[in-house]
Amino acid sequence: MEQLPDFWRTEIFHPLSVHFPIGILITAFLFKIISLKYKREVWIEGSFILLLLGTVGIWIAIYTGDLADGIVSRKLCDPTVLKDHENMAYICAWIFTSAIILESIARYNLVNLRIKSILLNWLSTILISCGVLVLGYVGHLGATLVYQQGAGTYQPSADCSEFVE
Amino acid sequence: MKKLILVLFLGGAFLLTSCGDSTSTVESGTYQGTIDKVEASKEEIYVKIEDGKTLELYFTDETELTKNGTAVDFSALQEGQNVEVTLEKVGKRLDPIAVKIME
Repeated sequence: MEQLPDFWRTEIFHPLSVHFPIGILITAFLFKIISLKYKREVWIEGSFILLLLGTVGIWIAIYTGDLADGIVSRKLCDPTVLKDHENMAYICAWIFTSAIILESIARYNLVNLRIKSILLNWLSTILISCGVLVLGYVGHLGATLVYQQGAGTYQPSADCSEFVE
Repeated sequence: MKKLILVLFLGGAFLLTSCGDSTSTVESGTYQGTIDKVEASKEEIYVKIEDGKTLELYFTDETELTKNGTAVDFSALQEGQNVEVTLEKVGKRLDPIAVKIME
């Protein structure tokens, strides 16, 4: 008789941690766009704080993804999708990290640049917009791994005997 | 302004080129190459074969790792070693059946 595996497996921590930065970074993007039109503190501060939280979250998701990679790769029929997912996730994380650096330079005058902070603000907006697009693609690849290849999922037995007490 | 554009261009190029390893798939068979990278925690190696392709190989319970005809532990693998790998292609996944350390 099959036995139901423990839920708290190593590969579970990636889906648990990945949705937080996706939601937060998309919201940060929306706040950023609104702050370009309406210069209220709630949009400006909100977008920065959400961007910061989301970027930290995306690096945590990369860490948990790396843990899951060693387990699920051996069971996938097309691990090249996982490799693309991983590579694009790193690009995505670096884009948002670059945006945070630009925003921090503009907000706190960290570097004595002659270019105006308004230009840095536009550059970070462009980076965040690109980051959201890449984030969508990374999410699509992740969903492909789960829904087409069953990555990290448990396949119940035909008679579901492991669910009978 | 020109410096800023240059920095952004170089930063973009860095992002697109340095953030991952490009790997390939080949048909089942035996290949010789050099170990490009060893990931001990995942029991995984990257092998660059003669035609320039890089193969990502995850060891399985069935993978036989040998050196001079003797079975050795995964920790014997190091970057730069020449190896001969016998692979089985399952879907697009490459399962290493045997890995021989050549030196």
